[in-house]
Amino acid sequence: MPEDILYSVRNLTVEYQTRAGAVRAVDDVSLDIRRGEILGLVGESGCGKSTLGKALMRLHTGPASITGGELWFDGRDLMKLPLNEMPDVRGAEIGMVFQDPMTSLNPIQRILDHLTETIHTHEPETSDAAARSRAEELAERLGIRRERLSEYPHQMSGGMRQRVMISLALALRTKLLIADEPTTSLDVIVEAKFLDLLQELQKEFGLTILLITHNIGVVAEVADRVAVMYAAKMAEVGDVNDVFGDSKHPYTQGLLKSVPNIRMGENELYKMEGAPPSLLHPPSGCRFHPRCPFVMDVCHTQEPAFEPVVGDHLASCLLYQKAGVKQESLNG
Amino acid sequence: MTEIKQHPPETPAEDTSWEAEIQRVGFIRRILMARRWYGADWWFVSISAVMVVGFIVVALFPGLFAPYSPDALVGPRFLAPGQHPEIPILIVPQDSSITSLKDMAAPEGQIQPSIAVVQGVPTAGALNEQAQAIDNQIKNEPEGLRLRPRIERFTSLEETLQAVVDGKAQAAVVQSTEFERVSAQFPTLREGTSITGQTATAGGFILGTNDIGQDVLSRLLWGTRVAIIIGFSASIVALVLGVPLGLLAGFIGGSFDRLLSLVMDSLYAFPGLILAIAITAVLGPSILNVIVAISVLYIPTYYRIVRGQTLSVKEEIYVEAAQSIGARSLEILRLYIFPNVIPSVAIIFSVNVADAILTGAGLSFLGLGLPPTIADWGIDLARGQRFIQTAWWMITFPGLAIMLIVLAFSMMGEGLTEIFNPKLRER
Repeated sequence: MPEDILYSVRNLTVEYQTRAGAVRAVDDVSLDIRRGEILGLVGESGCGKSTLGKALMRLHTGPASITGGELWFDGRDLMKLPLNEMPDVRGAEIGMVFQDPMTSLNPIQRILDHLTETIHTHEPETSDAAARSRAEELAERLGIRRERLSEYPHQMSGGMRQRVMISLALALRTKLLIADEPTTSLDVIVEAKFLDLLQELQKEFGLTILLITHNIGVVAEVADRVAVMYAAKMAEVGDVNDVFGDSKHPYTQGLLKSVPNIRMGENELYKMEGAPPSLLHPPSGCRFHPRCPFVMDVCHTQEPAFEPVVGDHLASCLLYQKAGVKQESLNG
Repeated sequence: MTEIKQHPPETPAEDTSWEAEIQRVGFIRRILMARRWYGADWWFVSISAVMVVGFIVVALFPGLFAPYSPDALVGPRFLAPGQHPEIPILIVPQDSSITSLKDMAAPEGQIQPSIAVVQGVPTAGALNEQAQAIDNQIKNEPEGLRLRPRIERFTSLEETLQAVVDGKAQAAVVQSTEFERVSAQFPTLREGTSITGQTATAGGFILGTNDIGQDVLSRLLWGTRVAIIIGFSASIVALVLGVPLGLLAGFIGGSFDRLLSLVMDSLYAFPGLILAIAITAVLGPSILNVIVAISVLYIPTYYRIVRGQTLSVKEEIYVEAAQSIGARSLEILRLYIFPNVIPSVAIIFSVNVADAILTGAGLSFLGLGLPPTIADWGIDLARGQRFIQTAWWMITFPGLAIMLIVLAFSMMGEGLTEIFNPKLRER
């Protein structure tokens, strides 16, 4: 694994066991997260973005389970780690910020206790006073005044709570921050401040951030690189300018055209044909072929490989591949 | 907020502002203002609290309040509340110098006096007790006097008195009213003082006496102790077992949860009293067994509530967030789930104590719960039931006591619910 890659996901598959059968919410996905970058992960609701985000910490419980693949984080395969050692990684090396800051804090615990508990969980030898001063320092850095730390979550606004969530994720020497739709429930002004904060943190702490969102504008604003998911598969990955400026995958192109623009006239907004496929019975061949404006005969039968189109710009589309040549082992 | 500042909290607040107002006042204020904010009357809470505290104090120190021991046969049988008891008095010959029991003491070694009593009347017991008390008191005095009268029993009042006339006994002890009835026939006898002086039965029996001459009030007060012990112990045992099981079942889930829920639901499906009867019938009567039977009955209550709450809290994002910062299962259970579940447990507890007291009383009413020697309301009820037409007070007062204690605990539970969970308030 090259030194500049922090987290390398290899052929990850996550399945949900349902009454109707196993649903692959993440199907054979490979993705590299580079050190110090903000990687945006975009896609429609239900395409598997959040599932992928949780899988990076092996947080799945209940019906979901990782059924295959490797999770190379900082030189070791997390899949080979016993599950009861995962709590040492969670919070300490990988932090997570959840979608809804209103419900992601314990309602009956003070903010300060949230922070000191995180520190104590991973560093039991830290004294109460030291943990306290570290928590205060960190909170102040994130714009939470010292005296507000003794408050309960319900006394804080959404933006404040989201900052608390980040400070929780950063309480230790976190290398990777997974932000799962962190701005969905915030208004645009708070959202803008939050995104600024993310960028500052990235520069100041050398933090690597995986920003999961369905808001393409947010990704375009802050991300260095972007990954596009469609129906549990990776559709396109590349530098944010390449992917948004010169999209290769027809899905990405459609997605970009669907973003409303102030200069558009009435009825000009593009609507993609059809609906996302059911993951229980995904379409044969390329999963996007029923909605693809450039569909070819071969798309019905052959699954495209996920491979570079130009340099670092990867896409899984048969338009750029010689049909029949790249028969990947995906079917096997 | 500005509008609230113009009105002090004493004036009726807007319905919308009570939640803001509640943040700014102390606990005592919250209770006092309960009616406006939660729809609970403050007096409702305070009365129940006073009652509960009162019951607990009585249960802790029944001896301070009860005039007699609960088991002692202290008075005549079936004495109605307020009715004055007959006083055993000393009857002596006219020419005797004796006026009180104490005068009959004789020096150590000499023949002790004989005193006549009527068979089967509680006077003999009272005499014995009193003579012993006087003896204990005088034996250390320098005169060396002792009082150990020989008690002669006769079958009728007339025979008893005749024995004194004939000189077979120096004195007789009979009930005052009875002597008045026959005093004309025995002109040579006169009344001495009451043998008890103004001590034991001077206060009378406020709530009357029962079928064997025990004081109903004393039994009532001592019975509080049993009721409180059973109510609290059974609820605490049920809580201590039910809450962790509910937490684990909800948290672990899977087949463990299914199996445990099956067991708990089976327990729950049983009619409560019948299950308790079955358990005590097997274990035999004792306080401990009643506690065991009742706690088994209430474990499912705690289990179901806690399990349900755990299931919903477990799915909260803050629990997932806790996992994402590396919290382990035990920590999540202890710091996140348990504290969020415990308020509802506190409320069930209060109501449960009332329920447990009722079930305990029910068991001993049926003769299954407690050994009959214990002063218990259920036992008194069962006893009073047989004499309901002749001695209404025997069944009424224990019944009232059960009603009041259950009411007190239920009212307090309701009041606390409304104070701690203002969101439950009906709007």
